[in-house]
Amino acid sequence: MKTIYKLLLPLFSIIILVGCSDDDNMQELTGEGIVKLSFDNAVGSDDLLLGSSGYTNSQNEVLTITRLNYIVSNFTLTNDKGEKFTYPKDDSYFVTSEETGETEISLTNIPAGRYVSVTFGIGVDQEKYLQGAEGQGTFLAKAEATNMMWAWQAGYKFLNFEGTFTSQSVTEPTNFKVHMGSHGSSLDNYKEVTLNLGTEALVSDEMTPIIHLVADANAILDGANKLSLSEQAVIMVSEEKSPKVAANVSGMFTVDHVHNGTGDTH
Amino acid sequence: MKKYISFLLFLVVASFLRANESINGTNTDPCIWAGTMFEDFCDTCGCGGNGGSMGFGTGLNNNFIGLRYIGQKYRSRDGIFANSPWINENFNTVQVWGNFPIGKRVLVNTLIPFHSHNRRFSDNSEQTISGIGDATVLAYYQLIAPLPDSIISIKPKHILQLGGGVKAPTGSFKEENLEGSVNPSFQLGTGSWDYILAANYGLTHRNWGISALVNYTIKTENSVSYLFGNQWNLAVNTFKTYYLSDSWSFTPQLGLGAEFFEKNKEFGLLVNDTGGDVYFGRLGLEANYNRFALGISSMLPIAQNLNNGKVEVKNRVMLYLNFNI
Repeated sequence: MKTIYKLLLPLFSIIILVGCSDDDNMQELTGEGIVKLSFDNAVGSDDLLLGSSGYTNSQNEVLTITRLNYIVSNFTLTNDKGEKFTYPKDDSYFVTSEETGETEISLTNIPAGRYVSVTFGIGVDQEKYLQGAEGQGTFLAKAEATNMMWAWQAGYKFLNFEGTFTSQSVTEPTNFKVHMGSHGSSLDNYKEVTLNLGTEALVSDEMTPIIHLVADANAILDGANKLSLSEQAVIMVSEEKSPKVAANVSGMFTVDHVHNGTGDTH
Repeated sequence: MKKYISFLLFLVVASFLRANESINGTNTDPCIWAGTMFEDFCDTCGCGGNGGSMGFGTGLNNNFIGLRYIGQKYRSRDGIFANSPWINENFNTVQVWGNFPIGKRVLVNTLIPFHSHNRRFSDNSEQTISGIGDATVLAYYQLIAPLPDSIISIKPKHILQLGGGVKAPTGSFKEENLEGSVNPSFQLGTGSWDYILAANYGLTHRNWGISALVNYTIKTENSVSYLFGNQWNLAVNTFKTYYLSDSWSFTPQLGLGAEFFEKNKEFGLLVNDTGGDVYFGRLGLEANYNRFALGISSMLPIAQNLNNGKVEVKNRVMLYLNFNI
């Protein structure tokens, strides 16, 4: 019987030890770090592969996508205490482009904390646009280089979505172009979205989280608003359709996961 | 601090066992339990990542030392999308293992694994990690000890063992192996001190036998703040021994196994696409020749849902050669 006690003693020690071992999890986060946002473009649940064989949307149109660029801007991060950190506005405009592979953006000098949500805009807000061409800094040249500008008067393309499609009525592969923007200052299509991160993004001197977002390109034409390419294959400055595209685009983003760590791995 | 405490505990267990040895150093004969019982329990998500062990406690009152090879094949999704490529992963492990009864009631099981795991990505690049895995020491107390074989009984014989032990972080855990959504267990070790609670039950009647085991591995956070989820292993096996001559016998085995994994955590936050469960069917054969036991067995998944469907076990193969001391 004695042996039982002898054996039980280390066993109990193990249990007590394990019970105590989780306490040092809540380390202090200090300093400031980088937050990366990675935009993974998708079509439905599949990865978007430019120029690859077409996919069929709910309107029975078969699309082959060859370009997907969009502007994201005005980032705000909210921490677990509800405090908001707004990224400096002049530095807060980015183009992400599937064709160039520039789909990750880095926000630097973010105060340490446990962030729970991110808010950002799609496109360029009127306040920024009304600063005139000089007020745009280097972003104007960036937008021109990535096909995200009409002439200055018409302004920025917030979304540049192109490819070919076929449908029951359009049997030959036909080009489509969906360029959505604000039409100068006459129609404001700038929209903001707030996304919960699902898990906390931890930022400190050592911690550089990567927020992996998924953008579902199918939602652009096939989201809350249904837009038929057979009816209109080139949607640009359209007072009726571009606000519908803008609404669809603002609903195409989700957070897939957050990778916490030192930033070396994804 | 945790490490020192763990090490101390390790010493306590070790010295306790040594003390017992000096009091009571008898040796019992090999018997029908040899090699046939509890050797087939496994970790799904890779030996390194989820426990570093494939079996504690074999022949119950049996002194042996042996070598065992374990091959495991997995495939895992390299990415977050439905059309993300699958990559194949091969986990190879050679273990030096032994069973050392101390006295009539206590049994010590030790296991030192060496791993060589490899995987091939969709761009055809290959990654191999090799080295020592996590060493494990377990001690069992035999609540119901088997009768020596010299006592011929026509009644069914029972056996019941309860025990526990530690798994030391002798295998390396590298953060850079945690790429993307690929199998987080592609590691040589968990990098943590883990603790195991185990129970084995066996019943033999004439040449027939049935064995059951359950064990629970409690994992702790490693130095890079990664915590593998706790793990349950359950298995039931039936076997029958055929004696061909005085020196030769064969024991075919048929069994079922189940493994349950809690979700992993990183920096105290749950990691997506981790945890899950898997159920196995098992077929095995052990040949005994005098003091040697040669075994082969295969485990095939019957049902599984691991890492949110992003990791799949394809099969496991085991081969071992034990020598009864």
